[in-house]
Amino acid sequence: MELIIKNGTVYDPVKGINGDKTDISIRDGKIVDKVSGKATVIDAAGRLVMAGGVDAHSHIAGAKVNVGRIMRPEDTRSGIKPRTKITRPFTGYTVPNVYAMGYRYAQMGYTTVFEAAQAIMKARHTHEELEEIPIIDKGALTLFGSNWPTMDFVREKDMDKLAAYVAWGLLASRGFGVKCVNPGGGEMWGFGKNVNGLDDVVPNFDVTPKEIIVSLMKANEMLGLPHSLHLHCNNLGKPGNYKTTIASMELANQVKASKDRQVMHVTHLTFNSWGGTNWGDFESKADEVANYLNNNDNVTGDMGQLIWGSATTMTADGPVQYANAKLLHAKWGNGDVELEDASGVVPIYYVKQISVHAIMWAIGLELALLTKDPYKMLLTTDHPNGGPFVNYPEVIALLMSNKKRQEEIKTLHEAVHARTKIPEIERELDFGEIAIMTRAGTAKVLGLLDTKGHLGVGADADISIYDIKPDQIDPSVEHAKIKSAFSSAAYVIKGGQVVVKDGQITATPPGRTYWVDASVPRQHTNEMMKDIVKKFKNYYSMQLANYMVQDEYVTHAQVVKAGAIPVEVN
Amino acid sequence: MQTITIKPKKEIKISVEAENITPDKLAGKTEQEIQSMEAWVGNQKTTLGELFSIRVEGSAPAAETKIVMEGDFARVKRIGEGMTSGLLIINGNVDMHLGNKMSGGNITVKGNVDSWAGREMKGGELIIEGNAGYYLGAGYRGESCGMRGGKITVLGNALDFVGEHMCGGEIIVKGNTGILPGLSNNGGKIVIEGNTSRPGSEMSKGTIIVNGTVDEMMPVFKLEGNEDLGGVLYKKYTGDVISNGKGLLYVR
Repeated sequence: MELIIKNGTVYDPVKGINGDKTDISIRDGKIVDKVSGKATVIDAAGRLVMAGGVDAHSHIAGAKVNVGRIMRPEDTRSGIKPRTKITRPFTGYTVPNVYAMGYRYAQMGYTTVFEAAQAIMKARHTHEELEEIPIIDKGALTLFGSNWPTMDFVREKDMDKLAAYVAWGLLASRGFGVKCVNPGGGEMWGFGKNVNGLDDVVPNFDVTPKEIIVSLMKANEMLGLPHSLHLHCNNLGKPGNYKTTIASMELANQVKASKDRQVMHVTHLTFNSWGGTNWGDFESKADEVANYLNNNDNVTGDMGQLIWGSATTMTADGPVQYANAKLLHAKWGNGDVELEDASGVVPIYYVKQISVHAIMWAIGLELALLTKDPYKMLLTTDHPNGGPFVNYPEVIALLMSNKKRQEEIKTLHEAVHARTKIPEIERELDFGEIAIMTRAGTAKVLGLLDTKGHLGVGADADISIYDIKPDQIDPSVEHAKIKSAFSSAAYVIKGGQVVVKDGQITATPPGRTYWVDASVPRQHTNEMMKDIVKKFKNYYSMQLANYMVQDEYVTHAQVVKAGAIPVEVN
Repeated sequence: MQTITIKPKKEIKISVEAENITPDKLAGKTEQEIQSMEAWVGNQKTTLGELFSIRVEGSAPAAETKIVMEGDFARVKRIGEGMTSGLLIINGNVDMHLGNKMSGGNITVKGNVDSWAGREMKGGELIIEGNAGYYLGAGYRGESCGMRGGKITVLGNALDFVGEHMCGGEIIVKGNTGILPGLSNNGGKIVIEGNTSRPGSEMSKGTIIVNGTVDEMMPVFKLEGNEDLGGVLYKKYTGDVISNGKGLLYVR
């Protein structure tokens, strides 16, 4: 199967292509040097061509997504589209059904998406959903931040066991990377409490969030995992939390990266860049966070942009969700994963005239516009916490057009003028920078830059063509066109197959699931397993034999090998 | 002025979804056009013309359109859904979801209505001369706001959960209601002329007035004393105290 895309205006920042007219040749699902004369031709006719979008942080599958669906039947009733000959039915807006997850991402030109949090114990559920999400490649980050074994090994300062546990946890959950949510807080929430800073001691375990973060970063780099530690900071959702965020970022200096990437990715910074001491003097400190990122190269972040209207907050941060539900008088879903973590789900409605919401909207944009290097600030809405992923085109349009931002600011609560810097920021991103925030950067942060996020020879043939002619459009003025073009791609090619044409799904191949198989010395695993067996015997309500996700649950696996420690042959 | 008369062609045994029957959608249309409009019988797609005989006199915009429905519509759902103006008169019984999400106009039912009548309605008036089912003027599953505006009057009785999650508007029930009217209310007013039981749990705002007897009070209301409302002395309660609610409950 050969394909050639001709006359496209290509943006591929990894290869230094910035709006040049080049042809792209595809054979057997990969991008190649050239193809024969028999190749099917797609004439891009000067339109914008980018690699398929890559999302490094979105909640698309698993236990808490499903809790959101159960809690919000009213959400399921919006966005309904009946089945067609090709597609199964679409439902929902903030918590779509599994099919709509794949279809809607594909329609926007996204071809790879990572679920941001799964507990090992709930991983089977995550994979059952991932299996049913059509078209896109995906993977899931596994939670390690409040797991009892993690905290035991951190207290004992036994890095070999911790690394062995992380490797085994990734295998058990068929996970891709190490996620750490409000470290220590998930355990404290079991007693109705929370940790309030990096140096709070978690009772019964005698460890601090700081020690957990640093140890997990070290284990991550010992194993040479493709992605770095993926951190949801402590104190999220509390005014004044930017200090905790920056203090957490500084911890990255204690660890050296094993690969050409960051050692810490701090996620959904819209919720972590808050100044003030209460909701009354709440203000943006996005400038401080962006400033830290500008001066340090070992940390990256993502926006978690807020979108007006309905959203469903869902996180493994149990205590913050209890606070939200109380504050908003909203429905509250609470979850406890024994020995591993907590979770919470709360619907929310973001309103332009509420000062806190207006400031949060500004924070996301400030982060993206004040961080100089787009490789350090990825585009996300922390779907569906800041808003559903279908709004990425809105975010792109806001970043590319100061005019659109100024029009929007006029409709917002006046606090956006006094307590954020967004009205004075004139920077407008170009197509190359957008390509980095949605493709090249996300792929680099995830450690998948060899096959994803670019259009060089050897990359996966995941390509999107948008109905914009970059040399004939002024995104600053024609922002509505930008938004509509990015909402509904002219062509999306996934693994060499055309899956979307003129915004309509034309084929629904199954995507692959990425997971990491990290090797560690046999004796480290054996030592570590003695503790795990004891945990199962004494505390878990399930048997160890039933714990692992079997290969039957991951039928289109893409296994990434890792493990820096030399492994003895046995 | 346009008058549209709709009669069932034969007895309807399998439930029909007929959300196209509203003045907004039928105004200005001819008999043929209306006959070819979509309706569902169970899981089968059909047309209004297959199910009903339709007569049209005159042609006018929705505000000057009157739909008269003659006969038994006890298995016809979603009549008057989302209507914004005009007149809908039903001389018979109707099924669930009558006038849901309506924002204007007037619906009068001479018979009984099933559950969810006037759910999430925003405006207009709904008059039910017979009895109403469950969840009159409530929010459908998961909604945080039920009725937000407009007025519902029931001359007969209503079943449980009248005005659940109500955020505004007014419901008047001349007869009795089932348990828990005004559950989880966040605004609006419910007047019950007859008897009820356990009114107003989980209220945060809104008003409930009961003129008949209350079989059982929820223990989450605080007695504030007596208050005179238009010459009648009521016991005034506030609650739900557990959720720090500011709802008002008046009982004789």
